Amino acid sequence: MGKIKVRAFGMIAEKLPSNELELENIANTDQLLGYLYQQYPALKHTKFSIAVNRKQVHGNELILPESEVALLPPFSGG
Amino acid sequence: MMERKPKNIFVEGPITPIKIGNSIENHSKKTGIGGHSIFLGQVRADVKEEGTVKGIEYTCYEEMALEKAFEIREDVFAKYPLTCMHIYHSLGYIKAGEICLFVFTSSKHRKAAIDACEELVERIKKEVPIWGKEIIGEEKAVWKENK
Repeated sequence: MGKIKVRAFGMIAEKLPSNELELENIANTDQLLGYLYQQYPALKHTKFSIAVNRKQVHGNELILPESEVALLPPFSGG
Repeated sequence: MMERKPKNIFVEGPITPIKIGNSIENHSKKTGIGGHSIFLGQVRADVKEEGTVKGIEYTCYEEMALEKAFEIREDVFAKYPLTCMHIYHSLGYIKAGEICLFVFTSSKHRKAAIDACEELVERIKKEVPIWGKEIIGEEKAVWKENK
């Protein structure tokens, strides 16, 4: 299975060792969340949504190899 | 009609009154316009438990933000009879009292400009991946939340 790129923003980026991770063997967003919560338990207490290739997803979504997945805390522009 | 492409809405640092003034002046030759509506977002020095907010550090997910801003722009253009629309949002550190968001709509008659401007501001705050970190002192910061 190919690699995916995970980018973290805002307060999520502060809870990860880097604001960009490269992961393998992740087929969908549920798997990704499982992995992230296990590796970085601090994320469990932080609200965020997920975008796959720059589109926000709701529910479990497939992640194709080479995708860019983003972890997005609530927006606060303006 | 020319196909519209995503424009960069981001400005590094505050949006200056000069930029806003120039932007208004740039419309003086478009004499079909009868009304402009402008929204200016200003950084507020909120008093929090941790102290008083000195400024906000803005970051974004640029690729997605520009796609989203383009989508919002197209929707609003389709919904209202506008002549012009401009959106600028700051990135980086903006001090309290400075302008961080500038939304500018123009139309033949006021109503479309006013309604479109309001809709744009609401959608930008809700849908565009931008984050503000409120800087309180040398060491303290709180992530901004939109109400």
